[in-house]
Amino acid sequence: MNALRRGVRNAFRNAMRSVGVVVILAVAIALSISMLIARDAVTAKINTVRSSTGNTITVSPAGFFGGQGGGTPLTTAQITGLLSIPNVTAVQAQLSERLTTSQTNLVTPITAGSLGSRFGGFGGRSGASGSTGTFSVPISVIGTNSPGNSLVGGANGGGTEKLTSGTTFSPTSSADVAIVGTDLATKNKLKVGSTFTAWKTTITVVGIYDAGSTFANADALMPLATVQKLAAATNQITGATVVVNNINNVAAASTAITKKLGSAADVTSTQATVQSQLAPLNSVKDISTYTLIGAVIGAAIILLLSMLMIVRERRREIGVLKALGATNRSVVSQFIAESTTFTVMGAIVGFIVGVIISSPITSALVSASGGSSPGGFVRRGTGFGGGGSGFTPPAGAATGGGGFRFGGTRGLGNTLTQLHTSAGWSTLVFALLAAIVIAALGSTVASATITRIRPAEVLRSE
Amino acid sequence: MLNVENLNKTFKTDGGEVHAVRDVSFHAADGEVVAIIGASGSGKSTLLSLLGLLDAPDEGSIDMNGTQLAHLDAAGRTKYRSRQVGFVFQAFNLIPNLTAKENVKLALEFAEWPKDDRDARAEQMLSMVGLGADKASRRPNKLSGGEQQRVAIARAFSAQPQLILADEPTGSLDRATGQKIVELLRNAANTQKTTVLVVTHDEKIAKQADRRLEIEDGVLTEIA
Repeated sequence: MNALRRGVRNAFRNAMRSVGVVVILAVAIALSISMLIARDAVTAKINTVRSSTGNTITVSPAGFFGGQGGGTPLTTAQITGLLSIPNVTAVQAQLSERLTTSQTNLVTPITAGSLGSRFGGFGGRSGASGSTGTFSVPISVIGTNSPGNSLVGGANGGGTEKLTSGTTFSPTSSADVAIVGTDLATKNKLKVGSTFTAWKTTITVVGIYDAGSTFANADALMPLATVQKLAAATNQITGATVVVNNINNVAAASTAITKKLGSAADVTSTQATVQSQLAPLNSVKDISTYTLIGAVIGAAIILLLSMLMIVRERRREIGVLKALGATNRSVVSQFIAESTTFTVMGAIVGFIVGVIISSPITSALVSASGGSSPGGFVRRGTGFGGGGSGFTPPAGAATGGGGFRFGGTRGLGNTLTQLHTSAGWSTLVFALLAAIVIAALGSTVASATITRIRPAEVLRSE
Repeated sequence: MLNVENLNKTFKTDGGEVHAVRDVSFHAADGEVVAIIGASGSGKSTLLSLLGLLDAPDEGSIDMNGTQLAHLDAAGRTKYRSRQVGFVFQAFNLIPNLTAKENVKLALEFAEWPKDDRDARAEQMLSMVGLGADKASRRPNKLSGGEQQRVAIARAFSAQPQLILADEPTGSLDRATGQKIVELLRNAANTQKTTVLVVTHDEKIAKQADRRLEIEDGVLTEIA
């Protein structure tokens, strides 16, 4: 029977103590495993949110906001020039226009109501009758060069547009085509292939979308070039969304855009909002990291004290082993094997328990940190009269990249608590590494004590 | 043949220096049983520690069949202990969670006895001290004091050491059992031609040795 086998056997020498040590180690390791899983889940969520929602910058003419205010439109050249800024990967431009009853045969599905009557006359946004008379909500037409994103990104006044029939148009299209909201289509009995008149031009409906909101479903999307041509707004842009390759570069890109466009544009990014929303998750990540480290250190200290107690208790036995000719290495190996046995048993139990409790612990941590609050997002849209494309974000994004939507970020808040916890090979490897670290740290003082025990003490204590 | 010359050992304590062993010189032949008598604190255990290479002397030499042992380094002392010295303690000092046989095999393992022969050797040694297979598989707490000391003797002799150091081997036993243990030591010494040094308080035990030495205040003298 070699030293290692003796060590493993010694781990079961005192059943009560062994159970106690293993249980305490298992609790500590379970805590560290659950914290690791929580940390991984939160990190994955943060990365997902950052990669999908936090890397956009909104550019609009200075003083203009969703069809309100004033200012001078930006030009296509100005917006295209933004592509030369480092880390900018795409620029999605839009031109928001509204069709009054004299410019189209379409009828809005939205009734003005008291709100329309109250706000309809402001800022020259009235429909047919201006500030007096009856107000009719105009038809919003959004010219965009990124129709693909617009239909999956959640834009145009809130909600997420889903193409319910037909197809979309190409980004560079200048055809007289449109994708219309379901409410607008229903109100005007439009189907794919139907036509309507805008700016005295016949427009063909190529697709119908559902955005989930009455306001957004009353709009029409058309190619940017087409709207610029028909609305006599050649080269005019009323909003753009700049996509940056990484959220960490958003601030620098935002500064560069401001510098490039000067006072002609208002430049805002979603970074601050997203960072603010991610703060609770970052807090959870920090807490789980510190707890993980603390649990491993705690387990090591528990094992260290236990092994020290065992070594002191077996001082005479160690002396006897040395007197019989055992080397320090042999005796130390025996005790390391014993502490490793404790740790491995604790790690196995702790791993299983940790995996089981990781999901509720993660949820509890996120909830306690305020990560569940969906109300933290800033409403970015204008509500009434909103226009800009807002079709920016890549798939799954919901942050208001277009700047002219509300509710665009609402979905993010709701998904922050939807964390997926899982234990993969990396977790298992961590458990093993943690066990090794715990066993190694826990054995150090005991080993040092063993080497100091002199076999002559056995005879003296006779 | 054990030959000890001018052995000295001093300890520093809070109360000053203690000269535990003073100019100790003696010799013992192979197979000889030598009793060392001394009061508590006379230096017996220190002398055994030095002879068993559990401690290093300040001065003097220990010669075992032509090999100088007194100033071996720690690794050399450990190797020597595992192969050339056997210990028998008053409190037996068996490893409690190992069986009698495993306790004997432990000494064989440290002496790097061939693995395949350890089982047979352990059984042979236990048989030599009168313990059969039923006792061999028991742990120390299932054995009587006398049986435990027999296991300790089997362990001490198992690796065929040149020197056995027995520190009050009968101190925890009744007289009859103690007598049997002394006889066992004598027989083993004769059979294996091993030098046995027995430290004891018991004059009757000491008188059964081939020679008697007395230690007082660290000074060793031979009793005629």
